[in-house]
Amino acid sequence: MDIFVQQLVNSLSVASVTILIGIGITLIFGLAGIVNFAHGEFLMVGGMATWFMVGAGMNFFVALVLAGLLVGALGFAAERCLFRFTLNRPMNGFIMSIGLSVILQHAVIRVFNEFQKSITDPVGMVWTIGGVDIIAMRAIVVAITAVVVAITYFGISRSRYGMALRASVSDRDTAELMGIPVRRYVTGVFIYGSLLAGIGGALMISLFPITPFTGSVIIIRGFAVSLIGGLGNVGGAVVGGLVLGLVDGLSAGYGYPEWTDAYSLVVMILILVLRPQGLLGGTLGPKAS
Amino acid sequence: MRQLGLGLAVAAAGFAMALQTARADEELPIGVIAAQSGSFVSAGNTIVGAANLAAQQINDAGGIKVGDKTYKIKLYIRDNRTDVNVTIAAARELVNDIGVKAIWGTETHDFSVSMAKITGPAKVLQFSGNSSLGAVLDDKAVADDGWLHYAFQSEPQEWQRSGSTAKGVLSLLTPQLKSPPKHSVVFVGNDATGQYLSSHYVKALEAEGQKVDLVQYPPDTTDFSPLLTRIKGMKPDIVHFWYNGDSTLTAFPQALKLGVAPSYFLFGVDPGIYQERSLKADVPVTLSCVPVCWGSSPYPEVKQYFEKYFGLGAAKGPQSSVSLLYYDYFFWYAKALEKVGKLDDPDAVVAELLKSDYKGVVSPVPLVFNKHHQVTFATEVCMVEPNTSDQFKCAVEQPPAAPPPGDNGG
Repeated sequence: MDIFVQQLVNSLSVASVTILIGIGITLIFGLAGIVNFAHGEFLMVGGMATWFMVGAGMNFFVALVLAGLLVGALGFAAERCLFRFTLNRPMNGFIMSIGLSVILQHAVIRVFNEFQKSITDPVGMVWTIGGVDIIAMRAIVVAITAVVVAITYFGISRSRYGMALRASVSDRDTAELMGIPVRRYVTGVFIYGSLLAGIGGALMISLFPITPFTGSVIIIRGFAVSLIGGLGNVGGAVVGGLVLGLVDGLSAGYGYPEWTDAYSLVVMILILVLRPQGLLGGTLGPKAS
Repeated sequence: MRQLGLGLAVAAAGFAMALQTARADEELPIGVIAAQSGSFVSAGNTIVGAANLAAQQINDAGGIKVGDKTYKIKLYIRDNRTDVNVTIAAARELVNDIGVKAIWGTETHDFSVSMAKITGPAKVLQFSGNSSLGAVLDDKAVADDGWLHYAFQSEPQEWQRSGSTAKGVLSLLTPQLKSPPKHSVVFVGNDATGQYLSSHYVKALEAEGQKVDLVQYPPDTTDFSPLLTRIKGMKPDIVHFWYNGDSTLTAFPQALKLGVAPSYFLFGVDPGIYQERSLKADVPVTLSCVPVCWGSSPYPEVKQYFEKYFGLGAAKGPQSSVSLLYYDYFFWYAKALEKVGKLDDPDAVVAELLKSDYKGVVSPVPLVFNKHHQVTFATEVCMVEPNTSDQFKCAVEQPPAAPPPGDNGG
């Protein structure tokens, strides 16, 4: 029983970082209409920046905020200099983002090196409750994710900005005629999604070492989470992340462990076949014009 | 007129000197194919580091005297981007367009086999530090007309490495535990290399009396906690993190936090990295290097080698010691060329390599290729004192004389 409860706790923490990257992708892909395959590398850059700042003696939580801002700035630059020119041609943007991901990987190798980086656990505590080990930093990651999810959810569903953004997704031309600065909103979403990737990277390196290639692995899960939940749907990304986390945790614990990745991707395929709009529904992604 | 004669004499002397220099600087083209980008870059860069150091040392010492000519090594280094198709294209270019006499690489097991299908027909020697070549290096393959006649495995056979590692780990850990360990879990990445290597290691542990469970994880896993929780439920005496040093460095701290086992073994994690990462465990932990450690070098030659290797700018990584699977063979190849006295007789060079030995850095015992073109040398295993990051007790374990029961050796 202890082991089963431990696996449930593990599943929750497995889900957290995935949810963060999933939210970033679901916003950028589902609302801004940009397929950014380099989003995983944005997360990696956030992790590397955190490693650098913590190594230079900075407090982890300060570094986390700065990493978010840095990657947000990177997102701003990428949107203004690259993706802005592909808004009407999503496939061009997609291919460009693949190139950007490779460039970012090798830029990081050039600046640092190819070896994995890690930091000392910022909290370094393990709580044992009823035979279940709860790693304190993982609990903090879950808590930070919950706060980010709440802010994003209310920002999208309740704020004027969020409503205008959703109006832009429904009918871009009408929204523009109504005076909504759609282009500026797209930039804002891209920056916010990138900022979340930076925070995700900082949280990730507090749990696991990362390499310049970490992003290309995690991006697949990020897209899976956003598609399972429904593109553009923040609640959907949370549900998607939890579904994948549970499948990962329980299949690793009780299934064939070497197939752990396959189980979660099979679940994704089934959901997309049965509910193409995702579990909670979404925007169905960018429309080519 | 006298001035003209003097000028002509000076010009002639200059021309002669230039000719002399040109002769002295004749090039011996050698190819290196390694991952300088992509997921295997941390191992790939070690080959390039070793090649650069060896070529520099050979050239600085005057080059290689073959017959009446002296050759300087000219390296043609190609990045395979951890991609088998790029590897094949690079091998074709090096063999067909540049005309290299030998190729070092790759570190990726199945890529080396693909390369051999290009180097073999072209009679280009290939030195690959992959133990899984043992699965294909047999009497027929290495025969004069065999497809691997020109391929050499510069890493010991896997049953040898597994045997020496298992013995070393158990002999270091047993005195540290309350009762002799009986149950081991081998935790390994589920890729071609992981499957091949762990199949031998499981047999080696069983030969040492261990009950062994094998748990495989998908490559590129970062959150190991569900799998480690499963292993904890198996109540093992030792968890052996096998094969991939980077994955081990990700999983091991998670295992410590979850209290998975009373002792651990980390394959391919150098004591230098353990110290650099400030890893610390309150239970006994053993480490092994492929083949000897830079963080706790067993011989003075190894220590000097790593000082020069890192001095050339190579980064200190968990797999830096892999460079030693490549370095010595430059000197051995040069020695064989000098002995043969001809550059364009690869069959004679192969024959010379098979009948000669070479005392290099990697082993105090001279290296010898067996009839299947494979070398044998020992493996270094270290134990970290509990609650320290820098107190190591190391032993160099010799390989067993024969494969364990159930292991066909290939």
